[in-house]
Amino acid sequence: MRSVRLHATLLALVLLALGLTSVFWQVFVRDIPLLESETDPVWIIDTRLEFDSKKNNPVKVQMFVPPNGDFVTLNESFVSNNYGVNVHKSGENRQVTWSTRRADGHQVLYYRLVLTRRFSIADQAAPPGPQFRQSAPLLGAEGLAAEALLAPIRDQSADIETFISETIRRVNDIKDDNVRVLLRGDYSVASRAGVVDLLLAAAHIPAEQVHTVRLGLQQSQEPELWLRSYNGKNWLYFNPADGVQGLPEDRLVWWSGDKPLVKIDGGRHLQVGFSVSKNEMSAIQLAQSVQPLQDRSFWTLSLYDLPLEAQHTFRIIVMIPLGVLLILLLRNLIGLETLGTFTPVLVALAFRETDLIWGIILFTVITALGLSLRSYLEQLRLQMLPRLSVVLTFVVILITVISVLTHKLGLERGVSVALFPMVILTMVIERLSIVWEERGGGHSMKVAFGTLVAATLAHLIMSPSELIYIFFTFPGILLVLVSIMLLMGHYRGYRLMELIRFKAMTKETPEK
Amino acid sequence: MFGISTWRALRNRGVLGINQRNCDLVLKYNDRHLYPLVDDKLLTKERAMASGIRVPELYGVVSTEQGISELGQLLSAHSDFVIKPAQGAGGDGVLVVNDRFEGMYRASGGKLLSLEDLEFHISSMLSGVYSLGGHRDRALIEYRVKPDPVFSAISFEGVPDIRVIVLRGYPVLAMLRLPTRQSNGKANLHQGAIGVGVDIATGQTLGGTWHNMKIQRHPDTANPVSGVQLPNWNEFLQLSSVCYELTGLGYLGVDLVLDETLGPMILELNARPGLNIQIANDVGLMSRVKQVEHHLASTRLPYGGETPMQRVRWSQAAFFKE
Repeated sequence: MRSVRLHATLLALVLLALGLTSVFWQVFVRDIPLLESETDPVWIIDTRLEFDSKKNNPVKVQMFVPPNGDFVTLNESFVSNNYGVNVHKSGENRQVTWSTRRADGHQVLYYRLVLTRRFSIADQAAPPGPQFRQSAPLLGAEGLAAEALLAPIRDQSADIETFISETIRRVNDIKDDNVRVLLRGDYSVASRAGVVDLLLAAAHIPAEQVHTVRLGLQQSQEPELWLRSYNGKNWLYFNPADGVQGLPEDRLVWWSGDKPLVKIDGGRHLQVGFSVSKNEMSAIQLAQSVQPLQDRSFWTLSLYDLPLEAQHTFRIIVMIPLGVLLILLLRNLIGLETLGTFTPVLVALAFRETDLIWGIILFTVITALGLSLRSYLEQLRLQMLPRLSVVLTFVVILITVISVLTHKLGLERGVSVALFPMVILTMVIERLSIVWEERGGGHSMKVAFGTLVAATLAHLIMSPSELIYIFFTFPGILLVLVSIMLLMGHYRGYRLMELIRFKAMTKETPEK
Repeated sequence: MFGISTWRALRNRGVLGINQRNCDLVLKYNDRHLYPLVDDKLLTKERAMASGIRVPELYGVVSTEQGISELGQLLSAHSDFVIKPAQGAGGDGVLVVNDRFEGMYRASGGKLLSLEDLEFHISSMLSGVYSLGGHRDRALIEYRVKPDPVFSAISFEGVPDIRVIVLRGYPVLAMLRLPTRQSNGKANLHQGAIGVGVDIATGQTLGGTWHNMKIQRHPDTANPVSGVQLPNWNEFLQLSSVCYELTGLGYLGVDLVLDETLGPMILELNARPGLNIQIANDVGLMSRVKQVEHHLASTRLPYGGETPMQRVRWSQAAFFKE
């Protein structure tokens, strides 16, 4: 007996561990949301290219598109008319090439990218870069100016990080004559970034330009220029305009290097526009569309792979064990008396369709009427099967009448009664009437009340959409339920009602 | 807190709850495949008769609807009898006919029934209304026990019976069940009968229980229920102890009756007897079960265990109350 109990306990613990592991794995590794209402921003970036071409002229347009970085690409589309599209890698960047043999007049090309940050694979870091670079020595006035700038920077910096930010700070001080020499009268951000790059090259510090797009709600924007350098462990990002370090969360690296975004052969009057918009998408839907893209759908959202109709059924089915567990606890811990073991769960399922209050009213009305019919039939002395059949038919007639009446009265709720399980109601009536005859009306009222209470509680625990979502999304939780049931299988403590029942035994026997 | 202190007090007294009964006694001592032997009263009766144990005489069995038509003929030889479902539970469906009156049958409680009434009753019995799983059943018609007059002062109609709980052949608790006006002459506690504890050692009645309360007097006759000496007590214990060998069930409730002429006989057996016997005796069942288990584990018992007589003697010595 002891070994059996140990066996059951071990099995329960194993199942508990398995169930919890699967849930935790889904939540923490697969990043599946715990709440159905959880939403995540989805960014839609539209890039619009416009240019004119001569009549019947071949056109080739090359544009950088973002590499797979911290974001997950949900969708990427190239919209063009009569253009061949080819995406290829070019160094660290991805590049798309549109090409056509004959273009005519005004041309518009679109590139649409849909991104999300959730479900990105965090450990997919950018590949390491160089830590040293060769550079040709600067000559003449520029060489002097560079030296003059670099000397105090070297003094005031401790490592690559501080060196770069100090350089940026100094280059942005346009009043400095040395800076003016190097900028050659061009004070744009791009030019300043070029000077910073020049100075860093003279100091043998590798740096490259990255062009970023801001994921913000603004209709049009230009790619923003940043500098980045590899310090041996991570990439450090700097804003060449103000020396701020660290790339903000809302920046998407579009391409790196000093090449322009678009290179066009055979076109003129090129115009490039970015527009970013944001959508909120429910996280679970997002998960459904992301997981297959990342080729790891297996078991992650298994029930979501079913056809929609089957999913709807399973949303109900996966909740039944919870109701059953509740009945188990009510009966074995509390000692509530119900008609049959799982009848309350079935009644609770019926409540799903009718709503709680309506369900209770209908259950009570139909059972009461059925009971009175049953007691009348008792006098006719029918055999059991014919009698049960009559009661069932009567129940069906009652349900029909109620549906029609409530429909006529404009109470659409009443029609839902049709889904009340008639056979279950019939059995409830039959058993209740036997209990009535054998144990008296009081006892049968008690049992009927217990059934109704159990069904109500089961309904309440089986219907919150949050719980349904959790059970449906994380089916591993069913194993947790099984482990609780297994443990209850060897529960030997008193039931709550027994404490009342045996209360007399705790008192000393009165003297006679 | 109320709950916890009650819980502790009950545990200390070794009071058995349903969960513990199922885990520690029913599942442990009673093999599932032996249940039909006690659930089917006809099987029990046949088995008992084969071993020479005294049971109420079987007048006939009705097992088909056709059989019902021969009921009148079957009953013609008897003026009083009992009809019961073979697989009924808790005394449900039992019909006791005391007498005949002008071609009618007088049931206990005074109600007059026609032959058609009886036929209908048996018909519903056959269709399984009273049986445990709701499946088809048979109806037994048997000798009506005439209770010994020793109970007349503390009983209201019906036949009082004696329930003995037997653990692996050792009687551990006994209770006299007395019908009341409320129980309609039936001796089942949940129907309103009273249970009166019986001292295993002496056969003297102790205090009683009615609807989970402790009582001292019979609610109908107002006579004190305690201090009544049951006749043939050793025979009762012997009979119940033998049922262990008869069925192989280690945890058993044996229902016996005392007929005024035929003496003690076995009425039926129960593989999962109720727990109110504890209130009647004011003794926790688990404490006694522990004593028996201790006895079985420690002493050098003869090969094949003790004989029924040795077991009864041990129980009487072990459970002697001052």
